[in-house]
Amino acid sequence: MSRRDRYYPRLIAWLRILLPLLALGLLSTLFLLSRNIDPSRTIPFVTDEMENRVIDQQVTGPFFSGATAEGDLISFIATTARPDPEQADRLLARDLTAHIDFLSGSAMDFSAKQGVVNDRRQEAELIGDAVITTSAGYRMTTEKLTTALDRIEAETAGPVTGTGPPGRIDAGKMQIDSDPETGNAHLLFTNGVKLIYDPAN
Amino acid sequence: QTTSVAFGNMQQDTSLPVEVTSQELSVDQETGIAIFTGDVVIVQGEMRLAAPRVMVVYSEDQRRIQRLEATGGATLVSGEDAAEAERADYDIDTGLVVMTNDVLVTRGLNVMTSDYMTVDLTTGSAQMHGRVKTILQPQE
Repeated sequence: MSRRDRYYPRLIAWLRILLPLLALGLLSTLFLLSRNIDPSRTIPFVTDEMENRVIDQQVTGPFFSGATAEGDLISFIATTARPDPEQADRLLARDLTAHIDFLSGSAMDFSAKQGVVNDRRQEAELIGDAVITTSAGYRMTTEKLTTALDRIEAETAGPVTGTGPPGRIDAGKMQIDSDPETGNAHLLFTNGVKLIYDPAN
Repeated sequence: QTTSVAFGNMQQDTSLPVEVTSQELSVDQETGIAIFTGDVVIVQGEMRLAAPRVMVVYSEDQRRIQRLEATGGATLVSGEDAAEAERADYDIDTGLVVMTNDVLVTRGLNVMTSDYMTVDLTTGSAQMHGRVKTILQPQE
């Protein structure tokens, strides 16, 4: 065999050893030598918010709703709500609003800066610039309003003031309930009422 | 027969604000009817109408008060004249007060009674209808 023939099988023999080694080397750079990426560091999050979120179990944008026996729909929405540290069955909410859709089609809204929802007593207190608006055109404000969660029953803690179709109304107290016969919602102003109606406007 | 009588001493301006005070006010959200109860007093300028119960009746567009219905014994005072009746309907826009059921008007010492009386606050005049009786007290 010519000299070239002798080298050829030897060349193949060496190649059969060198090439796999080369491949192995290339492969290892993928795993052994590569920069190890730490998964926990790649997702950015704020650690302290995690702590207080876990501690006070704060919920953002909580929403719950229900219906009364007569079929009126009541729904409560808040920006945030968290359990009351002192009392277990109470929820402290911020910017609590309640919306009531009556079977008859009219509606009523309560809103306030703060809210305390008491599960056991099935009632919610709206505290701080509580505003009551009704589809009949009444807009009353008071300091604190307590409302039931599962039926149409609410009352202000103190004086209430505002406007309505008859004019400007001030009263010592206001209750909201539904009339047993007609089922219509009633605003009952008590403890002294003053209405000012201006025929001019 | 009707007897017209002066009532109240001046022309009442019906565009003056009307102030209604009472112990309680109940408003039905569906029908919009508002009922004042508990010594209700309606004051407008010189006119003062008091009754145990007053219902507010709105105009069609629900934006204006058309009438105040005072029932259960209404007393209307304007200037130094006073009139009492079982019921009084005060139409704010027209300034007319219609008093019905044993109306009794006292003017100074004179007392007049009738079944039915309409008082026009804007002109300070009143018409008494039905059995009109006048009791003149002799001036001592």
